[in-house]
Amino acid sequence: MSAAGLIPRNSLAWLLTAQVVVLLPHLPRLPWWVALMWIGCALWRVQIQRMRWRYPGTLVKSMALVLILLGVFFAQGTLIGLDATVMFLLLLFMLKLLEMRNPRDALVVVYLGFFILATAFLFDQGIPLTLYQCIPLLVLVAALVGLQQSSGRNDPIRALRSAGVMLLQAIPLLLVLFIFFPRLEPLWSVNMPGGTARTGLSDSMSPADIANLARSPELAFRASFEGDIPPLRTLYWRAMTFSRFDGRSWSQDRLLNNLPAPELDTSGEFIDYRVVAGASGQHWVFSLAGAVTEEPALRRMQDFTLRSIAPLNSTFGYAARSYPSAALQPQLLSQLERDRQLALPKQGDPRARKWAQELRQQHADDAQLVQALLGYFNQQPFFYTLNPTPLGQHSNDEFLFDTRRGFCEHYAGAMTFVLRAAGIPARVVAGYQGGEINTRGSYVLVHQFDAHAWVEVWLQGRGWVSVDPTFQVAPERIEMGLEEAVRGEGSFLQDAFLSGSRYRDVAWLNEARLAWDNINYQWQLRVLNFKSEQQMGLFRRWLGTTDWQRIGVVVLAIAGAIMLLQALWWLRPQRQSGSAQQRAWVRLDQRLARLRLQALPGEGPRDWQQRLQLALPWQRSAIDGFFDEFVRQSYAALASGSGSGEDQQRLQARLKALIKALPRKRPAAASELLADQPLSHSDKPL
Amino acid sequence: MRARALHQRWLKRRIPAAQQISLDHRRIFILPSRAGLGFLLLLAILLVGAINYQNSLVYGLTFLLLSLFWVVLHHSYRNLAGISLRATGGRPVFAGEQVPLGLLLQSPRRERQALKLSWPQVVPQQLDVPADGETAATLYYPTARRGWLQPERLRIETRFPLGCFVAWSLLDLNWRVLVYPRPIKAPLPVHRSGKGQDEAQQAPLAEGVDDFQGLRAYRPGDSRRRLDWRAYSRGQGLHSKIFAEPQQQSQWLDLEQTAGSDLEQRLGMLTGWILTLEAAGRPYGLALPGLRLAPALGESHRDVCLRALALYGLEEDA
Repeated sequence: MSAAGLIPRNSLAWLLTAQVVVLLPHLPRLPWWVALMWIGCALWRVQIQRMRWRYPGTLVKSMALVLILLGVFFAQGTLIGLDATVMFLLLLFMLKLLEMRNPRDALVVVYLGFFILATAFLFDQGIPLTLYQCIPLLVLVAALVGLQQSSGRNDPIRALRSAGVMLLQAIPLLLVLFIFFPRLEPLWSVNMPGGTARTGLSDSMSPADIANLARSPELAFRASFEGDIPPLRTLYWRAMTFSRFDGRSWSQDRLLNNLPAPELDTSGEFIDYRVVAGASGQHWVFSLAGAVTEEPALRRMQDFTLRSIAPLNSTFGYAARSYPSAALQPQLLSQLERDRQLALPKQGDPRARKWAQELRQQHADDAQLVQALLGYFNQQPFFYTLNPTPLGQHSNDEFLFDTRRGFCEHYAGAMTFVLRAAGIPARVVAGYQGGEINTRGSYVLVHQFDAHAWVEVWLQGRGWVSVDPTFQVAPERIEMGLEEAVRGEGSFLQDAFLSGSRYRDVAWLNEARLAWDNINYQWQLRVLNFKSEQQMGLFRRWLGTTDWQRIGVVVLAIAGAIMLLQALWWLRPQRQSGSAQQRAWVRLDQRLARLRLQALPGEGPRDWQQRLQLALPWQRSAIDGFFDEFVRQSYAALASGSGSGEDQQRLQARLKALIKALPRKRPAAASELLADQPLSHSDKPL
Repeated sequence: MRARALHQRWLKRRIPAAQQISLDHRRIFILPSRAGLGFLLLLAILLVGAINYQNSLVYGLTFLLLSLFWVVLHHSYRNLAGISLRATGGRPVFAGEQVPLGLLLQSPRRERQALKLSWPQVVPQQLDVPADGETAATLYYPTARRGWLQPERLRIETRFPLGCFVAWSLLDLNWRVLVYPRPIKAPLPVHRSGKGQDEAQQAPLAEGVDDFQGLRAYRPGDSRRRLDWRAYSRGQGLHSKIFAEPQQQSQWLDLEQTAGSDLEQRLGMLTGWILTLEAAGRPYGLALPGLRLAPALGESHRDVCLRALALYGLEEDA
């Protein structure tokens, strides 16, 4: 690459186009002035190209650098971390335009473009973005081609086409590398992109929290099962438990969370399943009751939930096994655990406390008390609604005795309160319930509107037992999902007009939605979540081994075979150029070069023939045989267009005869016969 | 120096000189360019990013670019392979001038883009060759000394399509161009050598420029200015007009007439005189030790004289 020389106009057009398409996916995350800044830089660079403006001086450039540092700081609140770094890089990418003088600078811009293309994948890994990224990739490669094209050419279509062809040719090797390249553990820890507000459960629950979440049609996670999918009403996805109540909201108990996880009886029946959860930015993951996992990134908690060691900042898939019939902590709760799960604030909700005392007196047995409580929800005129009446200071009192309109968290919170007031350890469980079966991929989709809260009560000898007061009020919620439960109200996804889930009744639309979801799920499962465990599974299935040495041999063989085939195809012998006579001429010339008797510049066939006759007197008949045929055919070809196949064969035969007759070494005496020939006045070879 | 000589010897064996050369795998060298090494560095950074962020799509992009690198290797090679180059001659020049060397590039099937032709210390020339077509180029090579000029090996290189690889070949296309001595302007010698005068007196009227004598059939080497174009246009064939030359005007040029000790300078003076006399239309003869060329006029006579000067004292078959 020559450092000298300017950037031709068409190359600049390529580079500007490449910048636009590379920057586009980043712009929604960034403040508005970033786009303005790009337009400013591009305009300036175009004016430079038109000789109207000049390159900025050192002072302007350093000021710009300070300004973009300030810009990043104000936009991100920090200068470190992934988001800030990527933003800084993007701004540098734009500024580089003003410093781009020669092809080498242009190359830096293109390479930076590849890098920024890659960073977009840290923030979004969906299929639409991945497909879109093919465009900037193509344009960047085409820009490289444009930089190499001769400056006189202005042929963007050709550049695009050759870029496309090369990328397509790269795909076979890409697949081999993607499947077989060993997936390594991170070399050092990095911070993941974060900060964006995400819908999902939060680590505390006040009245109306989950009701708000239930208005969102977003996907929370997908799960596929080993074997048949269990009935939806049994799928209680536990995310976390709330043991602290401050009079208004329920939250997790840090102290309990730090206790070691209790033993789990793993002798009964089990369900194996895989969950692929979206990025939540949180630690909790979703599992059915009695879950264990071998995933190194997960650990089992004191409350039998699973939790990720690092926050989920990207799509995360894991396998788990649940023992639904196993008793959780059946024998004894420690004093600390017991106290913590009985604790209530000193004041508030006096009516509920009083009622709890009454129930305690009526039912000495804990299980009976729980049944009575559930019966109360069942028999009193409670109403399941997404639009509950706002509650005042004594929220449980007002809900239980006055309004009686609520969503699952109202029922779960109030029930847990009453149980604790009656002296029975209890906690609220937050998670999701049910889901939607996608028959195409036979997996379960769980949306945010499947968010649910229910109660776990500790009974001596049975351990923690799940009870769901919502089931007493609105059994259709558990049997058929939220949509059926609030059908009369018409509040299902009432704000999400564009959500596909809202239009489940339209058959073809629903089909299309589920098909698209299946593609997405397979994408997450097979591509995004292709980590070393999946790789090993694949090797085991295909090669029957996970030994790297043996895999290496197989990989080398496959990659070698692909490369060899490609190379053979590309290096296949070329069809010879020109007419049969020209080819014969070239061949003879190359052969005679060894004897230093090759044709001289501008020498015609007759002159060459004469010279050869003198130099190689013994081969005279072969020489004449070839040249006579050569001259005859050349003129015949001039007259009739092209020679026949028969002619070609004859010429070939004569050529062969001549070459066979040639001596290995040049006859010594002939050296002086290589006379200088005048450079003009002779015929051009045909 | 020794390494360089070895390299040249190796090249000579590997790519023997020929007037026409078709590039194939034995004649093409290919290596990653600096831009290509930069590309690999970029890939290494991307790979570290993919590993640290455990991001399948970044892995994918990295592998795609790596595969692209591998593909580009072949495309770079194919941009050169199969081209045939033919030297189409050059014409003699005076030392110090740039000698124009004709080159014809033929490309079977594929189009070739951005081929750079260069010698060391010569501004490179970049050209494209259309598919199944040919491109003629005239390259210029500087000359310093008289005699036979054999240019160094021509470097043909390409970085197309992505600049990641540089593929090149070094070719000796057997260009062989005569370089005349650099002409030096000097006043013509006033006295003629006696020997020359004798010869002039004995000779019948030489062909001169002044008095029209008649026509004779064209012989190669006759000056174009003296062709009888009118007769030619009547279809009577090509004839040269013959002029009678007053004898005293023919001039002998002898190496001994030149002053100075530097042979090259003296040859340069002779060259200058020949050009002056040819332009003035005065016949001239050339006397060098061991060579006498009788006085005459015309382009072919001039070329013979200049050739003798160019090769004087040098081995004929350089």
